[in-house]
Amino acid sequence: MKKAGSCLLVLVAVVFFSVLKSCAPEACFEETNAYLKATFYSNSSKEKETPDSLTVTGLGITDKIYDREQGVQPALFPLDSSNDTSVFIVRINDIIDTIQFIYSSYPHLISKECGYTFFHTLDTFHTTKDIFYIYRNSNNITTANEENIRIFF
Amino acid sequence: MRRISAYFFSLILFLKACSLLAQDTVLFPLKLRAGIDIAGPGIYLSDKNNLSVEGYISFDKSEKMALVLEAGYLNYIYSQYNYDYTSKGAFVRFGTDFNLLKPEVSVGKYWAGIGLRYGVSLFNSETPSFQYENYWGTVISSLPSKKAMGHFIEVAPGVKTEIFRNFSIGWTIRLKLLISGGGGKDLRPIYFPGYGNGGRRTTAGISYFLTWNIPYKTKTVITKPEAIEEEPDETSEQTIGSNF
Repeated sequence: MKKAGSCLLVLVAVVFFSVLKSCAPEACFEETNAYLKATFYSNSSKEKETPDSLTVTGLGITDKIYDREQGVQPALFPLDSSNDTSVFIVRINDIIDTIQFIYSSYPHLISKECGYTFFHTLDTFHTTKDIFYIYRNSNNITTANEENIRIFF
Repeated sequence: MRRISAYFFSLILFLKACSLLAQDTVLFPLKLRAGIDIAGPGIYLSDKNNLSVEGYISFDKSEKMALVLEAGYLNYIYSQYNYDYTSKGAFVRFGTDFNLLKPEVSVGKYWAGIGLRYGVSLFNSETPSFQYENYWGTVISSLPSKKAMGHFIEVAPGVKTEIFRNFSIGWTIRLKLLISGGGGKDLRPIYFPGYGNGGRRTTAGISYFLTWNIPYKTKTVITKPEAIEEEPDETSEQTIGSNF
């Protein structure tokens, strides 16, 4: 009986602090953006290869996502949730091409603390000059660390 | 022959009566209970965006176990820098309470134990506006009101004590495990009746009940069973004897 009483007291203390914790407002520590994740591969060796320099800009936007950055692997492409198309000007080393992604978006709750984001389902993609070969790995563009496409350059 | 059987029957009755006299018993009142939670309205006094009311009825099946039905209503409004949210609806929980106190300690007035519950919640949740920002700019959108059904289970330890005749107070702590919040994997409810934060697999809560007790039956509970005298073990005696 005493043992049961002690167990109950411990349980009460644990839960009391749990309740206090659950009442306290918490900050958002989770990833809130769902990026299209692209891994770079060598067109000749077909092995994973990090570009010496990467520049990515959204069409119609002056700010660059990557500006002659080194060691980017994988690259994260943010998609426009208010449109079903996003176009990026991609410069890998000295080669430039334009990639167009076509997708659908849907809202997703991250958590009470972080609120909502948009996830996407990749429909198709096009390149203007066909300089890069793109292989599709997964259509689900979420906050999970999952490769979506492979860019061979 | 008839007389012999009458004597034999009387002897059995006498022995039975003797065995009852050797036991300790307690008269335990089995009760119907009806209670209301005052923790929810108490929280509402400090947070006008969270109205939660609930009550319960329970029925003692025995001195150790009671069947419980709880029901309540929630009207929840939440707002933060990137979204607004409302949730409104009702819930029921049903299950059992187990009294860990011995009948001679409890005597129908005190309860310290643990409850197990299964909960179902029917509610409407709505996100009147949310804001999402990334490289391409800011998107402002909303999610219309949607009916959903949530399921959860609870472990509820607590205590109750009778402070006046047939009137008890007591609290229960609720450890909840989400089975399903409704809304699918993308649009789980942020908060729903009976459970709380739908984004979490486990949550905790507290209820403080005022309870009216209605005794409906008195049960005689044997608290100390008759001690059975052990007969001497013949085989052990023989073994001891053979040693000499």
